[in-house]
Amino acid sequence: MSETILQVNHLSKSFGSNLVLRDIDFTVDKGDVISIIGASGSGKSTLLRCINLLEMPSSGEILYHGRNILAHGSKPAQYRSHVGMVFQSFNLFNNMTVLENCIVGQQRVLKRGRAESEAHAMEFLERVGMAPYINARPRQISGGQKQRVAIARALAMGPEVLLFDEPTSALDPEMVGEVLQVMRRLAETGITMLVVTHEMAFARDVSHRVVYMSQGVICEQGTPDELFSHPKKPETIDFLARFRG
Amino acid sequence: MNRFSQLGLDIVRLWGKYGNSYLLGVKNTLILALVGTLLGCLIGFLCGVLNTIPYTKNDPPLKRFFLCLIRVVIRVYVEIFRGTPMVLQAVFFYYGLPYFSNNSLRFSSVWAAAIIVVSINTGAYMAESVRGGIISVDPGQTEGAKAIGMTHVQTMTYVILPQALRNIMPQIGNNFIINVKDTSVMFIIGFPDFFAAHRAAVGASYLYFPSATVEMAGYLTMTLLASFLLRWIEKKMDGSSSYELVQVDSLTMTAGTYSFPDRSSPFDERNPEAVKSVQREALRRQIEREEALCQGQRAETRRDRGMTDRREADR
Repeated sequence: MSETILQVNHLSKSFGSNLVLRDIDFTVDKGDVISIIGASGSGKSTLLRCINLLEMPSSGEILYHGRNILAHGSKPAQYRSHVGMVFQSFNLFNNMTVLENCIVGQQRVLKRGRAESEAHAMEFLERVGMAPYINARPRQISGGQKQRVAIARALAMGPEVLLFDEPTSALDPEMVGEVLQVMRRLAETGITMLVVTHEMAFARDVSHRVVYMSQGVICEQGTPDELFSHPKKPETIDFLARFRG
Repeated sequence: MNRFSQLGLDIVRLWGKYGNSYLLGVKNTLILALVGTLLGCLIGFLCGVLNTIPYTKNDPPLKRFFLCLIRVVIRVYVEIFRGTPMVLQAVFFYYGLPYFSNNSLRFSSVWAAAIIVVSINTGAYMAESVRGGIISVDPGQTEGAKAIGMTHVQTMTYVILPQALRNIMPQIGNNFIINVKDTSVMFIIGFPDFFAAHRAAVGASYLYFPSATVEMAGYLTMTLLASFLLRWIEKKMDGSSSYELVQVDSLTMTAGTYSFPDRSSPFDERNPEAVKSVQREALRRQIEREEALCQGQRAETRRDRGMTDRREADR
């Protein structure tokens, strides 16, 4: 039995009177690659943002190594430095170069030295194939390149879990491949990943577990084979049928 | 036409007599405007940053109370100093201090009073500009910073404020230019600025219009130079529009950071099918090379020695 990193218990989130997440229970073990799929508005992204505390859950608890991070006195910033996040819209810092983007968190949050941060950043930038672009600014590179830098920035913090919030949805079709390629390679290295995605092929081939969400609840989850080849719930069957065309 | 030559003569006469006091006025005006704008920006940034500290329902009530109080105080400050004329504020402060302290306290120099009034006034305008500048930065930037574990202060210092500063540069420029002109009201408390030099000069010479012409030209020159300078600073802040690709050291590929390229592509060492295609490709190239060599030898027999030697060397 592998170690549980995150455990989400009875998590709910509402925006005003609109209940977006209802009583979500969910665990992430070390080394898991989990894909969360579902229609738009089903609460996938909100769940991910709640896990990273970018949205405050309305009720429920999130246990990180058994400690509730929603309790009073817990430090959200410190927790977030262990949980990397890659956004749909990249969110690279526009006032910095590619290299600075990957260094600033290490220097300011992890208090690493400049040289150490740089070496670390270069290692991950090389891994995503962006090392030649370290002097470029975000506005000067393509969407796919930005997303690869964003992945390197998250990795440079040495996170225990990496959250991906629809990392390819804002990309032109020809750039989706390069980002997915990087993510596939990452998954092979054994890092724990939680991916909200519309890329069914990625979810099927790469993840260990697939979670199907519908209308704010986890409708069905299981191995890719269980979910894609033998879905049980009618909602899941309907949803997947749309992708088979 | 002779009115213009008359004007020229008068200006020359004025300049001969009061040139130094005009120049001193220019210097004082510029120093006051510059220092006032810089201090005003500091005040503005402080207010803008304090004004945008986020709080949620989960925060302790004391913190929420203080943040609310800060917002109210800043709001009152902004409304009062934006809503009254600077000339009155100068009088109010300069004469108010001795009035309230029964003459035991007074501004030791007119400089102190002038700088304080201009700074506070500019600060009131800048507070709103900075708030706008901070709000206008894409919320994604804050989220990106938070996601790597930055605190609110770190997010502000390293990510948001540098971008907000760039966004409000035109506003800062505006305020500086306004200050260059509006410091002229400081004559009311006896500040020796450029406009005060005009009042001194015409008081003695009665050459109102020629002196006003000098003033107009002087102020316009100052403001034009200022806008030119500000454009230049903005350009500097934007940084270079191009970037250089960095040649990556090929040795790093052996340092364990190199991951094998795409599976099932011809470059994959693990895929037997792909390896075969690479081998086929290599074989084809070798055959081509040998054919080219044969043709070369045939040509060799037809050409003189020197030509082929050079070609050999080329190869």
